[in-house]
Amino acid sequence: MRFLLLNHVQNAYQSLRSNRLRSYLTMLGVTIGVASITTILALSAGASKVVSDQVDALGGNIAVIRPGASTTDPLSGLTQPKTQRDFAASTLTETDLTAVSRIAHVTQAAPLMILGGSVRADSTAPDNTPIVASTPELATISNLKVESGQFLDTRVSPDTVVIGTQLSIDVFGTEQSIGKTLTVRGKSFTVIGVLKRMNDPINYNQVDFDSALIMSLESGKLLNQGIAQIQQINIRSDSITNLDQIIIDINKQLIANHAGEHDFSVLSGEQISRPTNQLFYAIAGVTAAVAAISLLVGGIGIMNIMLVSVAERTREIGIRKALGATNSDIASQFIIESLAIGIGGGIGGYIIGYLLAFGISTFLTFDPVINWQIAVVALGVSTITGTFFGLYPAFRAARKDPIDSLREYN
Amino acid sequence: MAKIKTPPVIELHNLKKRFGIGDAEHFALDGMDLTIKKGEFIAIMGPSGCGKTTLLNILGLLDHSTDGEYKLDGQEVSTLGPRRQARIRSQQIGFIFQSFNLISRLSVIENVALPLTYKGVSHTKRLELASDMLRTFHLGEREYYMPYQLSGGQTQRVAIARALVNEPSIILADEPTGNLDSRSSHIIMEELSDLHKRGNTIIMVTHNPRLTSYASRVITMLDGRVDTDTMVLPQLTTTPAKRPLGTTTKKKAKRKKPAKAKKVTS
Repeated sequence: MRFLLLNHVQNAYQSLRSNRLRSYLTMLGVTIGVASITTILALSAGASKVVSDQVDALGGNIAVIRPGASTTDPLSGLTQPKTQRDFAASTLTETDLTAVSRIAHVTQAAPLMILGGSVRADSTAPDNTPIVASTPELATISNLKVESGQFLDTRVSPDTVVIGTQLSIDVFGTEQSIGKTLTVRGKSFTVIGVLKRMNDPINYNQVDFDSALIMSLESGKLLNQGIAQIQQINIRSDSITNLDQIIIDINKQLIANHAGEHDFSVLSGEQISRPTNQLFYAIAGVTAAVAAISLLVGGIGIMNIMLVSVAERTREIGIRKALGATNSDIASQFIIESLAIGIGGGIGGYIIGYLLAFGISTFLTFDPVINWQIAVVALGVSTITGTFFGLYPAFRAARKDPIDSLREYN
Repeated sequence: MAKIKTPPVIELHNLKKRFGIGDAEHFALDGMDLTIKKGEFIAIMGPSGCGKTTLLNILGLLDHSTDGEYKLDGQEVSTLGPRRQARIRSQQIGFIFQSFNLISRLSVIENVALPLTYKGVSHTKRLELASDMLRTFHLGEREYYMPYQLSGGQTQRVAIARALVNEPSIILADEPTGNLDSRSSHIIMEELSDLHKRGNTIIMVTHNPRLTSYASRVITMLDGRVDTDTMVLPQLTTTPAKRPLGTTTKKKAKRKKPAKAKKVTS
């Protein structure tokens, strides 16, 4: 059998080469399926890597509290996109913030209150400009650097804001906007700092700070009828080892605050970096379905071609059996052929998938990730497709009656 | 003769093969009894549909009898599993077909090397053995031709080379010269009788009465049974043991023809 394997491979190579166009067309089905899988995986790994890199860069001792119990059901994320965050009142309150910041080993806690509204100066900022109300701790927790001017601190007037570089350009036409005045929801603020450009719109705060406006929590409350609408609380612990204990303490404390209701979730490490963008999930889901369908169709194509190939070579099967081939010899000859189609398509799909992913990433802010897991998945999927859909034709070939086969015309 | 003392290679007792069921039932072999000894060259004759090819297929383990016994080297064949039977086909039996049955997309040498594949011989060794075998059939310079580039006689010689490359003890030939002109037939038959002299057991089905002159035993079949069974005097095949194929066949032909004529008329 050991010698036969090599022989079957040569055989498959020969027979695939003799029907070159047919083989390539059959491979194409698998190629498309594997290409889309590779693209999805590479891009989604790229997206979550952006966030996890940020968390790692900050020392990995960050935890995030978000309103609403975390759901583990990915389907609900697809069917009810954005309900909790955008329309429901947040369950996190200022009391929670103070309670959390008092927990042992918590060095810093920064609330994130995201408001909507217009930002105007010389010109109007885009509609979706995030207005973030927070405390000075945000700068250190989220690693925000100031390009010019200063960040918010406890001593500055509540009528001052820090803005992102892009926002500065959008409303003032320049990055040098210290001391200038802009209007948020009809109220005037003075710019005291411009942030350094960060270029990562995807982060665990879900805010693109390059085009954001940051004001103090008090000012934010004033714009919101005096109520703090905290969408997220970022927490930094004094070391990674204490993070687990902190999370337990936070859970206890907040459940007590919320009268026993577990209407929030505390995330850390990997959980934060899981892409939270629902639309991204939806796109990935749809593409995955397309990939699965094209793999299925590709597999059926393999089966179809293999059945044709078996029928064409009935006589050859008869001859081989007469010369001493066992049923399993015949079966493995055809399985290896369909496997070759599958793997060939898989390798092609892997390469095309990455070309596609890098092409798409030129429009995105992150790069696709190349890692062995994706290669294994691409190769594994194509191997399984090739084998699975080759089984039946191979079985049929093996079961052929040698006498009938020999009688067949060539 | 030495041959008479040798043990039987093939023993058939009341062998039956049924095709179809109910009204369409038909026995291609209907109680066949036959004993074949090592080193015999048997020619099987008979009208179309008398079961010659079916018999050959069963002897070659390509088909199974419906009833009766078939002992190959003293072993009852029906007790063997398919894998074991394939092993026997690979190592003990060589097939020669009327339509040659070379695989058209493989070159001559690859065709000849094919049976060795299933014996587990390595690639280089396979090509070596196949090349040697082709040279004994004077086809050394045709190794890398494709089958369609050969004449009928050459193709059949390639097929014989392929049948012999595993050094089988039994060679089954189903009308090996059926598609050849008389000159090529002659060459093929001489190759076969040469093999016979080297000690191979050959069982050949033929329609051509003239070819029976090469055989040591002629069996005619009728309706799935042995009709006549004639031993040809064997001294001819043994006496000139040098390499005188031409002379042997002539002598054999002389002696055989009258014997056969009698049988047919009777």
